[in-house]
Amino acid sequence: MPVSKKILLVDDNRLVLEMMGKALDKEGFYCMKAISAAAALEILIKERPDLILSDYHMPDVNGFQFRQNLIDSEFRDIPFMFLTSEVDNKLMLEGINLDAVDYILKDTPIPVIVTKIDNFLSTVREQHERTLQELSKAAIALNLNSIPKKIPVVKGFDIDFWHKPYQNYPGGDFIDFITINDRYTFVVLGDVMGKKWGAWYFSFGFLSYIRAAVRICVAEGNYATKSILQKINSVVYHDPVVSDVLSSLSLLMIDAECGEIKYSGAGDLPLLYYDASVGQSRQITSSGMLLGLMIDGDFDEIVIKLETGYKLYVLTDGIIDFEGTDGKRTDYNTFAQAIQSFFNQPFTAFKNSAFLKDKTANHIDDCSLIYIEKKSDDSNNTN
Amino acid sequence: MIVTTQINGAALVANVTAAEANLMVADAFKADLASLIDDGNKLIVVNFAAVIYVDSSFLGALVSGLKYAMANQAEIVVAGLNKDIFGLFQLIRLDKAFKIFTTVDEAAKSR
Repeated sequence: MPVSKKILLVDDNRLVLEMMGKALDKEGFYCMKAISAAAALEILIKERPDLILSDYHMPDVNGFQFRQNLIDSEFRDIPFMFLTSEVDNKLMLEGINLDAVDYILKDTPIPVIVTKIDNFLSTVREQHERTLQELSKAAIALNLNSIPKKIPVVKGFDIDFWHKPYQNYPGGDFIDFITINDRYTFVVLGDVMGKKWGAWYFSFGFLSYIRAAVRICVAEGNYATKSILQKINSVVYHDPVVSDVLSSLSLLMIDAECGEIKYSGAGDLPLLYYDASVGQSRQITSSGMLLGLMIDGDFDEIVIKLETGYKLYVLTDGIIDFEGTDGKRTDYNTFAQAIQSFFNQPFTAFKNSAFLKDKTANHIDDCSLIYIEKKSDDSNNTN
Repeated sequence: MIVTTQINGAALVANVTAAEANLMVADAFKADLASLIDDGNKLIVVNFAAVIYVDSSFLGALVSGLKYAMANQAEIVVAGLNKDIFGLFQLIRLDKAFKIFTTVDEAAKSR
């Protein structure tokens, strides 16, 4: 992970702001500049820096008051340094005691200031990576996986998936394949609304409910995805632990004997269905709302008949997020167009495509895609 | 507060000021909505006019606000969605959960 270098400079002297900004920009930092504490707050609301570098002597709100205000706010954990010409020892101590990571004098040579900032940001990154490793170790030790290690073998079908977590953190997307017997296999794709650890933690809560609901319903002889989804929704709605966290869910049941798939969705993206007989794709949209949003999620059940060569793509929203020169946007059609030229190829070709390579490099959320293809009944699975 | 607010008739308008409404501002937005509901506002119009992109974290905060509003006999409606964001609301059926208006003025008259 590269060291992020976004700095918020706060100084009432425009000249200092411009000079320091220019010097830091030249060293590869990205500087945001604020002429007062109030202007700094406006910036903070919109964009979070990796470090705040603030003057002490400023009219209205001085640097110490500004720091104190931040300590009492949601911005308290953004590292803060003073960059000032104030040399009074007592005041310097007072500044440091305000949880400032450093107190730098303005007459310090620029290369020294840059090195101090660089060293600090590197230390933050190293600590962060260590924490990440510890958490990952704990997750592995607890055998917590929100993404399956194996792809199920279903007679007459090829199944595969592609998943990339956001910035390589485990995130809110979860995938599961629940094999009931040779005939029935459930496919689960969900997206807890959020990113990184917070969402990841909740994905287990949702997955546990989903697995339990599927098993209980099947044990009762009920294979309807709609009623399974209703059960999951009801539990999530009433459980205070997860009811405040929203998740989408695509729930599919493959019936290998009939070559049919039953599908119910909760606030999920439309499936993309490729009809090989006409060489065209279309979207299949379910009616259900996000899990836990309403007591009646308005779920439906769609029966999808797959003939040999037909394909079905199940996805989460990361894969339809794009970052262009004019900013980010969400666009299902761009994805649908990108995948078009791969309909006649095996899924591995799309996995290796420039489109997914670009997603890996520039994606802005967890990305998940499940692939289901109907093969002729007597064919071997070729994935 | 990461939203700015103004009264419009019977409604309280909450303007989302971030152009990119994402994970960074989602928690603060959720807290803002909760406090506006706690203050007794019964119709809150969330104005997206300044927003170019929303991520799922932010939508999660909005939906969580809606649940809190319903529990408190209040209503949250949305206005000023750009084409992409409106499309996203439709894609994941949030248009069933929220009343969507073109302008804040229309939204404010909805109750």
